[in-house]
Amino acid sequence: MAHTHTSKTDPVTINTEWLSDCSGCHVAIVDMHEKLLNVLETVQILHCPVLTDIKDYPKAKIGLVSGAIRTEHDRHAAEEMRKSCDVIIAWGTCAVYGGIAGAGIVHTQEEIFDTVYGNNKTTITHAAPSAEISPFEQVVTPIDEVIGVDLYLPGCPPHPAFVFDALLTLLEGRAPKATKETVCARCTRTMKRTGVTKIKKNFDGVPERDVCFLSQGYICLGSVTLDRCMSPCPANGTMCTGCAGATMQILTEPNRDIRTEVADRMSRMTSINRDEIISEIEYSAKSHYSYTMAAKMIGKKPTFLINKWIANTEAEYE
Amino acid sequence: MIHITIHDKACRGCQLCLDICPTNVFTFDAAAAKATVAHEEDCIGCLSCSYLCPSGAFRHEEHRIVKNFYRDCEFLSRMEKFL
Repeated sequence: MAHTHTSKTDPVTINTEWLSDCSGCHVAIVDMHEKLLNVLETVQILHCPVLTDIKDYPKAKIGLVSGAIRTEHDRHAAEEMRKSCDVIIAWGTCAVYGGIAGAGIVHTQEEIFDTVYGNNKTTITHAAPSAEISPFEQVVTPIDEVIGVDLYLPGCPPHPAFVFDALLTLLEGRAPKATKETVCARCTRTMKRTGVTKIKKNFDGVPERDVCFLSQGYICLGSVTLDRCMSPCPANGTMCTGCAGATMQILTEPNRDIRTEVADRMSRMTSINRDEIISEIEYSAKSHYSYTMAAKMIGKKPTFLINKWIANTEAEYE
Repeated sequence: MIHITIHDKACRGCQLCLDICPTNVFTFDAAAAKATVAHEEDCIGCLSCSYLCPSGAFRHEEHRIVKNFYRDCEFLSRMEKFL
């Protein structure tokens, strides 16, 4: 449909591709409904798994690649996108950092296959599929370790406003403007000092509506997460899980980390000890680091001892 | 002289910058529930406020940039590319 679109000036051609991810980045674009038509006046969408039926990779100016590289097919598709597009944007958290699937780095491929297929208690088949699926790679890889990436747009999914701002930036030839504000910057809860002494799990009690989660003793990752979402979670009563990945200061400086920065702020807002907060985040590290741990900037930090933390947590279960 | 701006909407009034600033540059505007820059001339450019701010609301200009001993050079080269 879209590739037959014509306008007075040549529209900018776009390919999109979807590797190992949940499809949310693409669905966020389709979710724009009729607003998408305004965009189609300036761009021409060629290869796009949710909108067009083009199977090959036509030449395009901009390539949006969502998802991480988990299978041999992902690797091939990423390479084809690089060959066919002038500018590649790593689109969404999976493409930039490995995303949720990246949490697979803490297990071997054999362990994952055994849990999902071999000894899955809720299915009756106990063998992994072998026909018509692409072979798995040993680890999950963010795309920039496989192909050259020109721009990064994290978010899970990035709010379409950011996607189209990014496209406009390119169309108008402006330098990309990274905003460093965090999810807290758009949150409207009141940050206040409290005498809270105990960390609450996210299922403990009902959080107060208008008070900052950190002030109440809930672990919220808003202050360590880039705002690429317009902060919908804290506005709707749930803590930020850090889906757009860590802030620049955490990514660039090995001495800064998600758990220490949250603890610094939370211990000042409450009467909870800083070390206690750090231990709590380490205890549930798989959740708190799930979006970014496959990225070298986080996973290779000398202080990021995920396997040790998981072993400690599991030892407590048994 | 160092110039500090606080992103007005992003400031959440948590007063962490007042806590951490070694030279008491900031005051708290209770009516607006926002931090304000009161003694900019006292700023020594340590950037503690910027690092601790939960919202990333601070901008410093004309400060001396000191490179950390430990830094992720590989990632620093990508930082410019973030949208």
